[in-house]
Amino acid sequence: MNDMRIVERDVDTNQNKISARGVQVHYGDKLALKDVDVDILDKTVTAFIGPSGCGKSTFLRCLNRMNDTIDSCRVDGTITLDGADIYDPTIDPVQLRAKVGMVFQKPNPFPKSIYDNVAYGPKIHGLTRNKAELDEVVETSLRKAALWNEAKDRLSSPGTGLSGGQQQRLCIARAIATSPEVLLMDEPCSALDPIATAQIEELIDELRSQFSVVIVTHSMQQAARVSQRTAFFHLGNLVEYSETGKMFTNPSDPRTESYITGRIG
Amino acid sequence: MTDTNAAERPSDRGWGSASYSDRVAKRKRSERLLQGLGLGSIVLAFGFLALMVASLIATGYKAFTQTHVRIEVPVSAELVNPDDIFNSSWRRVMQQSMAVSFPDNSPEEVRAISQILSSGAQLAVRDAVVADPSLIGRTVEINVPASDPFDQLNKGLIDRATPEANRRVTDAQIAAFDELVAEGRVSTPINWGILTHADSRFPELAGLRGAIAGTLWLLLVCFAISFPVGIGAAIYLEEFAKKNRMSDFIEVNINNLAAVPSVVFGLLALAVFLNWFGLPRGAPFVGGLTLALMTLPTIIIATRAALKAVPPSIREAALGVGASKQQVVFQHVLPLAMPGILTGTIIGLAQAIGETAPLLLIGMNAFITAVPDGPFAASTTLPTQIFIWADSPERGFVSRTSAAILILLAVLVMLNGLAIYLRNRFERRW
Repeated sequence: MNDMRIVERDVDTNQNKISARGVQVHYGDKLALKDVDVDILDKTVTAFIGPSGCGKSTFLRCLNRMNDTIDSCRVDGTITLDGADIYDPTIDPVQLRAKVGMVFQKPNPFPKSIYDNVAYGPKIHGLTRNKAELDEVVETSLRKAALWNEAKDRLSSPGTGLSGGQQQRLCIARAIATSPEVLLMDEPCSALDPIATAQIEELIDELRSQFSVVIVTHSMQQAARVSQRTAFFHLGNLVEYSETGKMFTNPSDPRTESYITGRIG
Repeated sequence: MTDTNAAERPSDRGWGSASYSDRVAKRKRSERLLQGLGLGSIVLAFGFLALMVASLIATGYKAFTQTHVRIEVPVSAELVNPDDIFNSSWRRVMQQSMAVSFPDNSPEEVRAISQILSSGAQLAVRDAVVADPSLIGRTVEINVPASDPFDQLNKGLIDRATPEANRRVTDAQIAAFDELVAEGRVSTPINWGILTHADSRFPELAGLRGAIAGTLWLLLVCFAISFPVGIGAAIYLEEFAKKNRMSDFIEVNINNLAAVPSVVFGLLALAVFLNWFGLPRGAPFVGGLTLALMTLPTIIIATRAALKAVPPSIREAALGVGASKQQVVFQHVLPLAMPGILTGTIIGLAQAIGETAPLLLIGMNAFITAVPDGPFAASTTLPTQIFIWADSPERGFVSRTSAAILILLAVLVMLNGLAIYLRNRFERRW
């Protein structure tokens, strides 16, 4: 597994960004996530792995309260962002989502121009005062998402006309345009070919310098390649959470070992 | 994967075997059958439509021309007061004109002959002189409409072999009319009056302008009410309302409302809008309100379906960058659902334009000869006008009823075309 490394394993900081304690999620009567305790570090890529239906996406969606939009979903326990409880009634989920951006499994650009896709977040949050500032935000976001060179001449053409990999980078640009502190990625490469996947992975590593990135992935190789820390979920339990190198070379739980060697999942 | 395996396989699985070609032939046969059935349904549907339109055209096409007679009218200064041209005795002007034109006939005969002309003839002369007062004292040569029986005679709809007592025109009148034809005074130009005149007791003067204006006012009111209310209700139910027993109850009732017979809405409108609110009888405003009630369920159901059809990924994307629920709905979901909403609205308004029963109950089938100048003026609509004409005894209204139906169909086609054009423009924006 060691030869798959493309990134430094070193964690730059030990500062907690997000702390989850005793998080339980119910869909109706069904318990989907059982007592999860996780600390997500700042400026770190954290990967969630596990078989389908293990609760990793559910937990990810707790971090920006996307689960609020599902009527039957109930979240218990506490999740704090920089020490503040994000499920506190005084916290507005809309403001939270500007701080905790999200990239989805399937590229989902708005059926609008590339420019409008990226500018939408800053516009609705009033982050810019005039057109020039907005132009600048759009440019830096597209640059950070490594899409500027391909898109700068066609900013007014529809975002849906881009290729799959470009669309996903556009979605990343859209997510980082609001200057979030955490970027949640829900299987961002599952709909992409290997070349586009490699581009996104490189990008994730670059984004680590500014954001805390949490990525859900089905590909253990991807988790090993891009993350510093990995959490393994199984049947709604957080089985193991440790440094990625340790997880893949010397897992402490037999279930983790079974999963990464392909015996369960 | 080896030869032994292939040999063990039943022989009828092979490419060219009998059962193989049997199965293929069977599948192709059922595909052909399905296609044939579909094609047959379309041919049948279009056949009936073509039959209906053909029969309407066959009876209605004669109403698109109108027999006119060219007459000379001496506008004597004695009979016409230059200060009040409009209210001068145009009847006597016409009598004088006929007497001059047929000097050899007795006054009784002249009176009979003058029935060849429509009673609207004097109005045509009057309007010509009002438009140009310098005609007073001179002789005006003018084309005036023939009365309905002679219009029918000219179009060959009256059998001359019928005994005189059984037809509406006498032998003497026919002789006089034939004389006019021989003199080249009779013409059958296109009957623009059917579009430019309002209703009249006389078929040769009756037109649809009042009914078309009434229909447009009614549609405007209906659209202005049902479109925003319908969309608002649908957005609330689909995007904001909690899914519980109450929302199920509301949904069942809306679907139910869509199936309520239209005459019930008419009775409701009669009781509430006319008797309780005291709104004017026969006004397009009341008709529009009534039809809005009928159109609402259609628009709500179509809008909810269109909102549901917007992919959830778009909602997630917008929520993910921190859009509020309201921003998600109005900036992303609604624009994407617009084509579907417009389609539903078209269907609803198309139903409304052809609706007759509730309008009969609120008095929109009155005999009204003025073009409505607003939504509160009494008027008819195209379908109620068709109803009135279909009920009229005059022979000329038979073809005019068919012509009115054709015009209603044409208005429908135009409105649908406009709506489809608008819908396509919405779709092309992205």
